[in-house]
Amino acid sequence: MSSCASELFVCPHCDAVHRAVVLGRHEVAACVSCGRVVARHHSLSVDQLLALTVAAALVFLIANSYPLMIIEVGGMHTEATVWGAALLMLHGWAAWPAAVLALSMFILPLLQIALLLWVLAFARFGRRAPGFRGLLVALHRSRPWSMSEVFLLGALVAIVKLSSWVQVTPGIGIWALASLTILLTVLSLVEPRFWWTLLQSHT
Amino acid sequence: MTTPVRAITVGLVACRTCGLVMQRMPVPGPPASCPRCTTLLRERLPRSAENTFAWLIAGVILYIPANLLPVMYVSGVGGGEESTILGGVLSFWRDGSWDIAVLIFTASVAVPATKFLALALLLWTVHRGSRLARRQRTALYRLVEIIGYWSMLDVVVVALTAALLKFKALGTAEPRLGIVFFCGVVVATMIAALSFDPRLIWDTGAGDGH
Repeated sequence: MSSCASELFVCPHCDAVHRAVVLGRHEVAACVSCGRVVARHHSLSVDQLLALTVAAALVFLIANSYPLMIIEVGGMHTEATVWGAALLMLHGWAAWPAAVLALSMFILPLLQIALLLWVLAFARFGRRAPGFRGLLVALHRSRPWSMSEVFLLGALVAIVKLSSWVQVTPGIGIWALASLTILLTVLSLVEPRFWWTLLQSHT
Repeated sequence: MTTPVRAITVGLVACRTCGLVMQRMPVPGPPASCPRCTTLLRERLPRSAENTFAWLIAGVILYIPANLLPVMYVSGVGGGEESTILGGVLSFWRDGSWDIAVLIFTASVAVPATKFLALALLLWTVHRGSRLARRQRTALYRLVEIIGYWSMLDVVVVALTAALLKFKALGTAEPRLGIVFFCGVVVATMIAALSFDPRLIWDTGAGDGH
């Protein structure tokens, strides 16, 4: 098995072979036969990506330590956090959906941020992070199951739903969650090839 | 524009994790692993159509109790009430929040139904070896991939409502069994979509040399 064809690119959706092109600013390359976006230009350096990831880690912390929404009724008061909503259901049969929620809304986004921090922090100093391969594979595999944006929309729907009965106030958590969603989306636009060829010249 | 060559016909294989393109091994044998990321190299996902079909059927079966059983129980001053997904949509509609009703209907009813139909169509056309509208069918597959997880919306809404509404005097909310099945529908259809190899759509053409 020889990896001679490094300048070639194969579309994962239709198996068409392309010659890799250098993209200019804002340019996107699509597969000629099936139309899938196969490459996207991004001008972010390792430093900038690291900065975005640190920002994502901070807003993740805020989104999970402050309530998403608060209800106050006659002196009584309840609030919900991402983690708390999942934990509350973690008994009996409701543990199944709770586990899926905890995984997709909390554990996987946290894992992704941690992996990116680790890999980028080492790349910043021109070094390949320990466990680089396994971590990038984990990042790739976990991506379809990470869904903080769904949680954001769900929280907004819950606010509207509950506001017909009681007074609901959006908490700081919801703004942090919105920022987290944007940051994770930006980071996920970086294609796999960028990560795998990171530091290739150094090794 | 001329049709590009396909990797399978020129003896190339791309790693599905990192995208590295390599020459396929001439001798058939156990799959080798990618030198860059160690993923097993396969030209196609093994038994893709069978796996997709199995998960699709599982999703359709779970969809029935998910819609028939209540997903949430809300007790208020005037007694308790259990509601199904469609019941929830209808009550939003009646209360005048038609926008939320449309949103929940889309995420919880229309999206899973679209996924079932789209995956069934893809499996059926692949099985028949159809060459029609391959580009559009690949686009349909991408749609299934993108809309996939938005069905989790209702699970989130139920979880948050249950977490917030726990005032003994005024009202409490509890999740009900339907939400377990509903969550199962989302997971099963997501696995179904991930098991489907869209390259199967393109494997049936003339001029491919096989």
